[in-house]
Amino acid sequence: MAEVQAVSRPPLILGDKSLTQITSDICSAMLRRPGALWWIGFLFSLTLLAIGATVVTYQVATGIGTWGLNNSVGWAFGITNFVFWIGIGHAGTLISAILFLFRQRWRTSVNRSAEAMTLFAVMCAGVFPLIHMGRPWMGYWIFPYPNFRGPLWMNFRSPLAWDAFAISTYFLISLTFWYVGLIPDLATIRDRAGAGLRRRLFAFFSLGWNGSFRTWQRYEIVYTLLAGLATPLVVSVHTIVSWDFATAVIPGWHATIFPPYFVAGAIFSGMAMVLTLMIVARTVMHLENYITVRHVEVMCKLVILNSSIVALAYGTEFFMAQYSGNPYEQFVFLNRAFGPFAFAYWTMVSCNVLIPQLLWFKRIRTNIAVVFVLSLLINVGMWFERFVIIVTSLHRDFLPSNWASYRPTTIEVATLVGSFGLFFTCFLIFCRILPMIAMAEVKGVVAHERAQRRNRK
Amino acid sequence: MSADYKKYWRSLEEYEAGDALDEQAAEEFADTPLREGAEPGRREFLLAAGFTLAGAALTGCGRAPVEKAIPLLRQPEGILPGRSYYYATVCGGCSASCGLLAKGRDGRPIKLEGNPEHPVSRGGLCAVGQASILGLYDSLRLQQPMARGKSASWREVDEEIAKTLDGIRKEKRTVRVLTQTVASPALNSQIRGFLKGFPDARHVVYDVLSASPILDAHRQTHGARVLPRYLFQKANVIASFDADFLGTWISPVEYTSGYSEARAVEATPPRSAWHVQFESRMSLTGTKADRRIKLAPEQIPAALEHLAVRVARKAGSPVLPAAGSPVPLPDEVLDELANRLWEARGRSLVVCGLPGAEAQVLCNFVNHLLGNYGATLDIAAPSYQKQGDDRELTALVDEINAGKVGALFLHGVNPVADLPGGEELAKSLARIPLLVSLSPRLDETSPLARFVCPECDPLETWGDAEPVAGVTAISQPAIRPLGQARPAIESFARWSGNGASAHELVRSFWQESVYPRQAGQEAFEAFWKKSVEAGFARVRPQPMAVKPFDVQAVKPMSAGRSSTGKLALVLYPTPAMPDGRHAYNPWLHELPDPITKATWDNYASLAPATAGRMALQDGDVVRLLISGNAIELPVLIQPGQHEKVVAVALAYGRTVSARFANTGPKWLEQRPTPGPNGMIGANAAPFLLLKDGSVRYWRDDVKVTATGKRRPLAVTQAYSSLTVPKNLDPGGGPRPIVQETTLEALGTGGAKHESEPVMELWPDDHPFTGHRWAMTIDLNACTGCSACVIACQVENNVPVTGRDEVMRNRQMHWIRIDRYYSGPPSDVEVAHQPMMCQHCEHAPCETVCPVLATVHSSEGLNQQIYNRCVGTRYCENNCPYKVRRFNWFEYSRDDRLANLTLNPDVTVRSRGVMEKCSFCVQRIQDAKAEAKLQNRALRDGEIQTACQQTCPARAIVFGDVNDPRSKVAQRMNSGRRYRVLEEINTRPSVGYLKIVRAKKTDTDKEGGARG
Repeated sequence: MAEVQAVSRPPLILGDKSLTQITSDICSAMLRRPGALWWIGFLFSLTLLAIGATVVTYQVATGIGTWGLNNSVGWAFGITNFVFWIGIGHAGTLISAILFLFRQRWRTSVNRSAEAMTLFAVMCAGVFPLIHMGRPWMGYWIFPYPNFRGPLWMNFRSPLAWDAFAISTYFLISLTFWYVGLIPDLATIRDRAGAGLRRRLFAFFSLGWNGSFRTWQRYEIVYTLLAGLATPLVVSVHTIVSWDFATAVIPGWHATIFPPYFVAGAIFSGMAMVLTLMIVARTVMHLENYITVRHVEVMCKLVILNSSIVALAYGTEFFMAQYSGNPYEQFVFLNRAFGPFAFAYWTMVSCNVLIPQLLWFKRIRTNIAVVFVLSLLINVGMWFERFVIIVTSLHRDFLPSNWASYRPTTIEVATLVGSFGLFFTCFLIFCRILPMIAMAEVKGVVAHERAQRRNRK
Repeated sequence: MSADYKKYWRSLEEYEAGDALDEQAAEEFADTPLREGAEPGRREFLLAAGFTLAGAALTGCGRAPVEKAIPLLRQPEGILPGRSYYYATVCGGCSASCGLLAKGRDGRPIKLEGNPEHPVSRGGLCAVGQASILGLYDSLRLQQPMARGKSASWREVDEEIAKTLDGIRKEKRTVRVLTQTVASPALNSQIRGFLKGFPDARHVVYDVLSASPILDAHRQTHGARVLPRYLFQKANVIASFDADFLGTWISPVEYTSGYSEARAVEATPPRSAWHVQFESRMSLTGTKADRRIKLAPEQIPAALEHLAVRVARKAGSPVLPAAGSPVPLPDEVLDELANRLWEARGRSLVVCGLPGAEAQVLCNFVNHLLGNYGATLDIAAPSYQKQGDDRELTALVDEINAGKVGALFLHGVNPVADLPGGEELAKSLARIPLLVSLSPRLDETSPLARFVCPECDPLETWGDAEPVAGVTAISQPAIRPLGQARPAIESFARWSGNGASAHELVRSFWQESVYPRQAGQEAFEAFWKKSVEAGFARVRPQPMAVKPFDVQAVKPMSAGRSSTGKLALVLYPTPAMPDGRHAYNPWLHELPDPITKATWDNYASLAPATAGRMALQDGDVVRLLISGNAIELPVLIQPGQHEKVVAVALAYGRTVSARFANTGPKWLEQRPTPGPNGMIGANAAPFLLLKDGSVRYWRDDVKVTATGKRRPLAVTQAYSSLTVPKNLDPGGGPRPIVQETTLEALGTGGAKHESEPVMELWPDDHPFTGHRWAMTIDLNACTGCSACVIACQVENNVPVTGRDEVMRNRQMHWIRIDRYYSGPPSDVEVAHQPMMCQHCEHAPCETVCPVLATVHSSEGLNQQIYNRCVGTRYCENNCPYKVRRFNWFEYSRDDRLANLTLNPDVTVRSRGVMEKCSFCVQRIQDAKAEAKLQNRALRDGEIQTACQQTCPARAIVFGDVNDPRSKVAQRMNSGRRYRVLEEINTRPSVGYLKIVRAKKTDTDKEGGARG
């Protein structure tokens, strides 16, 4: 049965690579001097990061008033960015853990980068809850730590406290998972490196990997266990993030649909970001044989699935508002669609629901350039989704006397820009110093395919 | 281990091991630094020495050198550090002279409260009065006298003035004293004494907000220039012709108190005076009227005349058979009003704020026909709150401009900024040989003076007041003068050759002139002491020579004033800034106007239809032009205003307001607080008309042109209706935030509160067994005057944020007055709703704070712990009432003098923390401590929150709802009580009492709301 299926499917890795070729293809990217394109990208990202660092320093020194928030809209850009980046971070764990458990072999080409992306996105996300505080230097108070302030403890009922746990857990597990997956490849690099610091570093981090059967067996067990551990996190982190809103009393936030809605949205945006990065990487790093059109197509299919779930959620929200008979709730959704922030709402709907429908067509799915543009638009749409949820619910809530508007300041925009700088800077450094593609896993796929081909002959 | 003792073993191992174990143990603890019994070794020595040295060094590391402050060498009796004390005194905010209790703390006054015993103001205080404490600590006040623009000493100045006056006396030149209404009889008598020494001397009085026509009309009708005392509390029908008596007219605190009494629907017997308001713009009083009739400015006197004709007909008086003016409104409206007034003869009141004695005479005539004199108007014991005479002012201005004045003394006035033709007047003033200004600040006029002799703040000096005949009040100082300023009474005495102090002068005046009027038998000393302690004394009114009503004075109106069809300019005072003397005060500038909710500016109000016709939007700058005078102001669209009117507030554009250039946080995108002219707003006084012995506050020849510029206004409430915008309306009508009922509904069984069924998911595990603090706010009584906003600001150290922050919706006031319009924009109904922290039992803010910075007390308070707050603002987002205020920046506390108003009982919040109404928890704690010291239970009413204390309408009641006899518990059971957003089960501790509308509302049947 399995063999019949395998025959009908195109190979995952093109070019009929030998194992040695795979190693050298992937490692050579790290050994070559970086090209002009990398340098341009790196300097650009570093500039953005510097801008971000400057404005955040300024903001912390001057006051959170340098953001465009007000007494009615207490959260806007900062928390939008936070949820956006956390969402981006979801695809990595999904690809590495859930698809691993489901034995989706196509994941091997993209999982390493997707996991790296997750880590960097969670780093970007983690910055925002801290800097959005009025007194970020007191931020550690939201953790339960032994203290001398009498019996003072943090509030376990607050979703923000759950957030802190969820995100730190997610980051740690993702990091561990990523690192464990890296070990065989680190050993490969160690073995190829000459004497010197590089060799010693990789030797240290590869934890004495010797490639024996016993090592491989232990490795596989640990990896599977970690995958099992990480899987619930894919669901839990964004569920908890959604509780930041769902447990509030504010119409537009107070909705039981939020956890699945947020998780689907997160995977949606994460997939789009993976697509964006992979398409860039395969072109720039010449990895067309490893990240094939088939990979892109498979991910596009996941994107359509999630887009449909998100669309269903949008519709359900409107239906529930109408069905509830709650005029405050009804107003919030009418206000979203036709109020002062209608542009944000319709950007969201266009980018997240309408445009992804193009991916039903195979010709579009297989056109790398178009997919690239679509993936960018989806990311824009998903950013606006969070903006719409946060700002349109707050700016016109119960008492009309409180109604206010919101406008970001340049400081806020620069902070968002800076978070992209942080993300891309980290990612570009990652591309240079670590294997972008999991060599050990790809080899497994290639060996498998080769065995199948042999059987056929 | 001594052998004398029996050795007990603890375990078999120990027994078997014997002494070996002891040795082992000794070895194990060999390292213990300070072994008992052993000789200290090298290590022990070093350890002990190091510890001692470090300890000695650490004790030297104090945080700061200790400075011992010894405030008083001899402790005054009854004054304890850290405890407040109160001095009864008189408010200097305006000439209404409300009774005050100045709250002092460690030698400095920090808060002003209404004196509840005071027979005129009855415990209330307005926003201006509350804010006037900042005047005491104002760094713009002159510290010493000035001669020809330079600082000088009092001796030099006095000598020069005396010398110049001698010359004037010899040359028989004219001496004039120009003041606003002098509330103080002692100062009045001092000025009289001063002027007695000159052959041609006169004391001219004018008021920026003139009541001169009322006094003039009474001279015509009653033969005496008196201002009646209006007793709103006795009226059942009130008709007001353009008199904003709840906001700015003569004595708003007194009238608000009376008005609220006249409309106490839950009193026994229930009362609800019917109130009709004729006006052209939307005034605070108009917002409370049962019937508001919108007329163009020239139509209001006509309406009064036609009413007078109808009342005369009913009374059978032949005096006014027909009106001279065209009838401006439907006959049935006038007929109905005439009927209502006639039925309430002797219990009705007609008040008129129109310029010109002609209309005032008609007003007197109506009141006379209705028998209101002696009932709701008292002229036997009249008011002295406004004494200005515009006719004399006109004469004086002519004299000044003609260069005939030899010496002019200015006290409490700023004629260059307040009067029309100020520029021309300034030139003439500069030519006066001896111009002496007593102004405490350098304003528009005082720099012209040869001598500026700054007078003290009213809180620094002795004085007195007689707001209404028979109520004399003593203004005692709450602090020694902060600079070298000198009370006006001392200055005039000095220039009359009397070197006595203000205390001696006031006291001797009382001995001579007030003491003989008192009824009691006590000695003067006892009388004086009692009066100082109480703040006032009731004495016999000065006999008034009032003649019977003279019908000869009543004449039909001249029909000359017909509308030209163009826009009319109406100049008006705002309750927040009634008088340019307060233009230095940042609190009043940041106080949202009770109706427009605009701060830090004046503006040109236009009716929605007019603005639509001229294609103008809120914030478009227009140019107003009348005969060469032009000012530019942003437009504000004001529902309910007459279509032919453009209304502009007076008292803005003052030079002292240039000080606000530095107000507000400093950062990249900050915008300045002052306008393009460097000041707050623009001065509209040049548009006033001083003609025919009367100041006209409206002009019918204004040209309004758009400039194409924009200046968005800093408005604290962006949306003004309880109905959501039409295109976003899901149906369901207005939101039930403000609820209304009718008199009929109250009468028919609606008087008891029906307890609502409670669906409860949460366990009821927090019983409130002791106190349970709660508040009720009577929306029917609340006039929106905003005194509570300033009272709260002073009490709770609320910072001023500046115009830019208000525009960004970051004002810090803990209590705000929400104002909602309903009905068509041309003729709106208005509701005011004070909104502050509701202290919800199920507070949404409390559950979401990750660091427990906001928690519930066992007495039902929602507490904010500033030093625990990290500033996530989640609580603010989750507050359905949006009453939490965040410190977006470190709001400036740079003015160290102004910081002396800070209440030491309330933390000054730093940046990055949330704050909100605390139900004045410091007052609760204070009262509890006091009761505990006296070993008794707390009494109801003992704790008054700052907003409650100042409310002239007594709309706010605070207390313990667990005490069934408390007033707040009783009001919670009222049939009018509801809670805002009750349906989301936040269980607020604040109950609102529904507005009672005189007419039947359609929605009331469903128990619904009107917005």
